[in-house]
Amino acid sequence: MQKNKWLLLVSSLGVLALLVVAAVQENYLREWRQVQATAVGDEGPIPVMLRQIVNPGLGTADRCVSCHVAMGPGEQGVTGPQMALHRPVVHDPAEFGCTVCHGGQGRATDKADAHGHVRFWPEPMLPVSMSEAGCGTCHTATGVPRRDVLDLAAATYARLDCAACHRVDGRGGTVRPDGGGMEGPDLSRVGLAGYDPSWYDAHVAKAATETSGPWATAFGPISAPDRAHLETFLHTRVAAPRLIAAKSVFLSSGCLGCHKVSGVGGDTGPDLTRIGERDPGQLDFTPVPGRRSLENWFSAHVRAPSSVVAGSQMPALGLSDEDVQALTLFTLSLRRREVPGSYLPLDQIRVARLGVREFASDGASVYAAFCAGCHGPEGQGHRAAGLAAFPSVANPDFLGLASDTLVAETILRGRPGTRMRAWADGTTGLTAEDVPPLVAHLRALAGVPAPSETRPPRWVAGDVREGERLYAGSCAGCHGAAGEGADAPALRNPVLQELATDTYFVETVRRGRRGTAMPAFGTPSSTYRTLSASELESLITFIRSWGGPS
Amino acid sequence: MSLSLPRTPLQVFRDHLRAAPGRMVHSAFRTGTPSTDRGRSSFVFGNVFLHLHSVRTHRWSLRWMTTAGLGIASVAAFLITLVTGVLLMFYYKPYPDVAYDSIKDIHFVVPTGRFMRNIHRWAANVMVVTVILHMARAFYTASYRAPREFNWLIGLALLVTTLGLSFTGYLLPWDQLAFWAITIGANIAQSPREVTDALGITEHFDPGGLQRLLLLGSDTVGDEALIRFYLLHVMLLPLVAAMLMAVHFWRIRKDGGLTKPADVNQRLGPPPADVYPVFTEEPVKTYHLAAIVRGRTPAVGSGPEHTVPSMPHLFYAELGVLMLTLFVCTALALVSDAPLKELANAQVPENPAKAPWYFLGLQELVAFSAFMGGIGIPAIVLIGLGLIPYLDREEEGTGVWFGGPGGWRLVQRSIAFGFSAALIVESIAIRFGWLREWFPDIPQLVVTAINPGTVLTLIYAWYSVWLVRRYGSTRAGALGLFTCFLCGFIVLTVIGTYFRGPNWEFFWSPADWPGGH
Repeated sequence: MQKNKWLLLVSSLGVLALLVVAAVQENYLREWRQVQATAVGDEGPIPVMLRQIVNPGLGTADRCVSCHVAMGPGEQGVTGPQMALHRPVVHDPAEFGCTVCHGGQGRATDKADAHGHVRFWPEPMLPVSMSEAGCGTCHTATGVPRRDVLDLAAATYARLDCAACHRVDGRGGTVRPDGGGMEGPDLSRVGLAGYDPSWYDAHVAKAATETSGPWATAFGPISAPDRAHLETFLHTRVAAPRLIAAKSVFLSSGCLGCHKVSGVGGDTGPDLTRIGERDPGQLDFTPVPGRRSLENWFSAHVRAPSSVVAGSQMPALGLSDEDVQALTLFTLSLRRREVPGSYLPLDQIRVARLGVREFASDGASVYAAFCAGCHGPEGQGHRAAGLAAFPSVANPDFLGLASDTLVAETILRGRPGTRMRAWADGTTGLTAEDVPPLVAHLRALAGVPAPSETRPPRWVAGDVREGERLYAGSCAGCHGAAGEGADAPALRNPVLQELATDTYFVETVRRGRRGTAMPAFGTPSSTYRTLSASELESLITFIRSWGGPS
Repeated sequence: MSLSLPRTPLQVFRDHLRAAPGRMVHSAFRTGTPSTDRGRSSFVFGNVFLHLHSVRTHRWSLRWMTTAGLGIASVAAFLITLVTGVLLMFYYKPYPDVAYDSIKDIHFVVPTGRFMRNIHRWAANVMVVTVILHMARAFYTASYRAPREFNWLIGLALLVTTLGLSFTGYLLPWDQLAFWAITIGANIAQSPREVTDALGITEHFDPGGLQRLLLLGSDTVGDEALIRFYLLHVMLLPLVAAMLMAVHFWRIRKDGGLTKPADVNQRLGPPPADVYPVFTEEPVKTYHLAAIVRGRTPAVGSGPEHTVPSMPHLFYAELGVLMLTLFVCTALALVSDAPLKELANAQVPENPAKAPWYFLGLQELVAFSAFMGGIGIPAIVLIGLGLIPYLDREEEGTGVWFGGPGGWRLVQRSIAFGFSAALIVESIAIRFGWLREWFPDIPQLVVTAINPGTVLTLIYAWYSVWLVRRYGSTRAGALGLFTCFLCGFIVLTVIGTYFRGPNWEFFWSPADWPGGH
């Protein structure tokens, strides 16, 4: 019995000791208790208690304010060594909470768990430098300009020194010496809130009446093109400058040629609509340097896709660090949250229900969004290791011979058997209305007008047998023995055969295509056989034999 | 000279008020301070909870070596899960997604919630372990023998109930771990389809599909399954367990207390001076429980010389084990958090998806044949265990550890044999694959019949039959077979837990898993 008594005594004391440890842990050692103990409010030390922002509509219960007390509702007065205020934002954290924008685990009360960089939490906090990616949870931007346009707009704003009076995205704006506030209004959100369209006339009128101060010294007339640039700049001030810039990079790099975002884009690559929600726990971080975070994975992936995702077809894009950052920010912003209708922003509704695209519909923007990834930003074509070359679509020799119909139909119907898909099949977001401006843009890039045709589309009538012999000798090496294409484009492609005229074929062979491996067979040369006019006709007659009767 | 005045009503009232606490205690316990043996006896049988015990306990039963306190530890773990479980129920909400949030709240916000959940989880695991060890103890001391056969069966039912309690609790957090473990479990329930499919009769006779449907209440793991598991976990199974336990304990008393060797009194020697003699006053009435118990139980025909009053001797031991169990559970709870993975997501399968650890041995067999691993072999094992007391009618070695022909040496050999056989069969299967890899077109029925699980079972069975013939004793065969199955259980569970990775492939360490996990 003595042994059992001792057992009871010792194990009871042990349990008691453990309960004391647990109680101390629970009541004194919790991080948020220690943080709150150092904070002081208007009336002395603040009560140490669990604080949270609950928004049933958004389904959030964010306890972040248990540590970040001063960011909580009505607690702006709280100060302390670990306290910081939230910068003024459109969405009041007191209503929206924290995680809906920043990600992380709102229910958690330990720092590591709350910030979400722990195992088994799929939605870690966005890095502070990429907080704007959180806007993508609910918002989408419309009318995002091309990168060069945006850069020009910002440069114009800087060159005209608007920042002397106006504050934008936290920079610029002088305070009046008499303490009457900022000279000009803050323009950071005018893209959302709107602005007086007659602002320039008002400026001019005001400048005419003032005799001193910045109005007299700093303001001068602005040219119409510059005003257009400024309008672009103002239109894109939606309190998320980095995100807009990142979207602009994405939409100017032709990524939509392969990837879909919200139903717009091709489908060679994965759909990116919700790619920013990927669970870092499900990703392979072996080839990724640095911390196991989604942003590191994305930037490593966009730098060298196939080294991060084995077998990825995506070519390495050779991007600058800034562009990698921008594309990473953009991919992180591709996230969604089911929110009740009252929280659904107008931009999202426009995009989701009315099918409005994020970018402008002019030819240059459409080209940049859909085509530039494969055909190059200037239409110069593109070669990527391990992939067949993408043709130069703005080649003057090509556009000088190809009719608008050939170019337009190639875009609409694609080139079956190649990576050039049919773009007007209703699934890509590119429509038939986009094609004429697109063709015009290509012609502008190449600087050549459409060819004027005098002959009928089909006129060659040469000797097929001779043509076959010539083809085998001069063409098959690049275009394939049966015209199926190899290093050079396929010639038996039905769309090409149907739409290209005989003149197009004959002249392309005769003149060659500069900037490509296609030589001019009509010009005497020591390295390849020169073809006479009748030989050319025979050759094209043979090539035409693949196109079926017409 | 004392003056006796009539007491005023107020004085009477004051006296009653003074006496109230003492009377309250007396009315509750009635027997007064249990300072005499008689008092101690009435303390026990006058108490609804304590009277499941006999009033006197044999000194043999109180030796630590006799039971290692495993049965009491199981009850203690059950009680701990009961208390912490009720506390958790205040906050837990059994609906998909909401359930996950409520666990997060319990973890992060509810005062002591994390601690209670951790204790609950550890106590549940401790209970599974102690129940299995308790069964092993009962087996190795041959305590299942007459007249305790039926209590052995109750014990088996309690084992199944314990696993059921633990398994149903597994789903409730509604995280990835839970979701996919239950998906695996439900697929195992459906595994009779393996046979009906092979016979082509699933369309007409589909017990597997029915089992799965009964378990999940739907085609997939969803809100129906969650409510089902919740109900089973917090109400049905605890009630079943409590009832079975009541019968289990009551039968101990009715079957003559714990098993004791026939020569127990010689083994114990004379009682030490401080516990005996026990009678502090002439008993008014002696209790001859033995007189109303028929049969050849050790209590019948022997006097109280080697027994001590249960109050307090037995209760010190029981409380000691209870507190020790509580200590172990709280200590583990402080050191290690109960797991909670991502929110359940039917689109993102866990790979590997693993069942709770005590089913990983079965899952290891399921990898070869779902039916045999999930239904066939467990059924064989349970039926075999249930038959043991009815086949082993011997008397040699009752109440002695590893008692019976062969004894400890036989068990040692069986451990060596059981481990080797399991390791060899598993090694072959892991290194060279199994029939499906060798003959891709082989009918599934052949694999169902011949797979590592059935082969191992046959090897063990053959070994056991050989032991029966060699020793001329069923007990020897049973000792060998039980030991082998225990070894096989350990080997398969360890392999399933530590050495199986994505797609249930073999890996020496999780560090070798593809994908840099």
